[in-house]
Amino acid sequence: MRALDGVSLEVARGETLGLIGPNGAGKTTLLTCLLGFLQPDQGSITVGGLAPDDLAIRSRTGYLPERLGFDRELPGRAFLAHHWRLAGGDPRRASAEVEAAAERVGLEREALKRRLRSYSRGMLQRIGLAQALLRDPDLLFLDEPASGTDPRGVALVRERILEAKRRGATIVLNSHQLPEVEKVCDRIVFLSEGRLTKTESLRGETASRRRGLVRVPPSHLVEAAALLSSEAFATDAKPDGTLRFAVASDEEMARAVRALALAGIPVYEAKASAELEELFAEKRDE
Amino acid sequence: MIRRFVRQKFGSAGLVVALAVLGFVQLLGLAARGAAAGFSVANWAILVIAAGSVSRDVSSGALQMILSRPIRRTHYLFGRYLGILLSYGLFLLATSVLAFLFVHLIVLRTAHGAAADYSTAALAVGAGQAFLSGALQAAILLLFSTFLPGIADLLGLLLVYLVLNLPQFSQVPWLRTAGQRAGENMLPPVEWAGVLRGHGVLGAATGRWVFALTVYLALAAIVFSRRELPYGQD
Repeated sequence: MRALDGVSLEVARGETLGLIGPNGAGKTTLLTCLLGFLQPDQGSITVGGLAPDDLAIRSRTGYLPERLGFDRELPGRAFLAHHWRLAGGDPRRASAEVEAAAERVGLEREALKRRLRSYSRGMLQRIGLAQALLRDPDLLFLDEPASGTDPRGVALVRERILEAKRRGATIVLNSHQLPEVEKVCDRIVFLSEGRLTKTESLRGETASRRRGLVRVPPSHLVEAAALLSSEAFATDAKPDGTLRFAVASDEEMARAVRALALAGIPVYEAKASAELEELFAEKRDE
Repeated sequence: MIRRFVRQKFGSAGLVVALAVLGFVQLLGLAARGAAAGFSVANWAILVIAAGSVSRDVSSGALQMILSRPIRRTHYLFGRYLGILLSYGLFLLATSVLAFLFVHLIVLRTAHGAAADYSTAALAVGAGQAFLSGALQAAILLLFSTFLPGIADLLGLLLVYLVLNLPQFSQVPWLRTAGQRAGENMLPPVEWAGVLRGHGVLGAATGRWVFALTVYLALAAIVFSRRELPYGQD
């Protein structure tokens, strides 16, 4: 079986790349290759010009697997302290760093005393994320980081990813939570049956596809659609008052909303997004 | 790595119970027959301690998390090996101390067992003998554990014993000789009691044992360094 086939990919320093694709597409396999645990039959993988399993790279890497595999008998504190030491952290600072890391992912001190086997799925994800973020790595490989977490946990994962992004970390994220991917990623790649089928930029000048959505009262739908058409937006109107249209940038989206507001049309909802779910469905159907 | 192994092993209730049972049986054996009879029951403890030492970390995904850190694979592997030896050493030490106390506080106060040797030196030699024999078995288990799943390394060790011992039941002389030679080199029998008392320390048997141990550990390092570690499924 060929898990990955002809994948060619470059991730820029400081970029956040999302891996998207159906189950069995090869996303986790690709992450495993990027981490140097699997060797490709052909071609090569380098991270900053070095082999992915080079210790210099490892010392800058944070990794959160989809399923946290560790000694379930270990208390949370010991687990994080062990990873702090493995990551090359000063053992004397382990206690303080462990507490800080736990706090960043919303784990209480009491939870750190408990054994990992007593943790819920969401708590395991949080402590897994805490270990991945120890020592502020430059390279983050996250495999379904928000899987099994509650909405607060999802938001927290997003905040931590954005925080890492702000300090310049390069992040590769595998997630099925498309709205979250859209919020944090600069670029996404679609994988299907081991092949890289599409790349989409979500940020900046090269952003390849964005859709605007506004929701107005259904009674104003025809008027709103006509107004947006006169502003050069090709709209797709739904009877519930939803209008969708292509926008090139956030500024263009603001222009559309402003036009509606100036015409006295109430706007209940307005957002611009890459609509990954739609793209995902398209790619899946192809 | 060593500390993690010890913690992992002694954190498992099932394993502690198994070791406690083995230790207790050994204690009774020592009390009945004296230290010279050796730690034959305790030898089973190395199997309990060393089984699946690497493969369990592979299947749980813990290994991938550890190796995503700046840790060399050989560092991990030899850490596991030293962890096995330390755990086994602690087990033998605990068994020896308990046997010493048991024998001197209870058995020697009765008429039974007075003829047997219960001296500290005899206990130390017996424990040392068990430790050194166990070190070689642990190295073989470690090698198998680098590529076999779960506790299939125990089956691997069993297979080695079977393959090396079956030829001696053969009627074919060359096969018996080959089996004997293979056994001498792959599982070199060493008279550890004598070696530990200073006899034949640099003898051929000891040399073969050191060579075999080195080969098993080197092979384990080579296999493990080249092993691919897939993780989960998409």
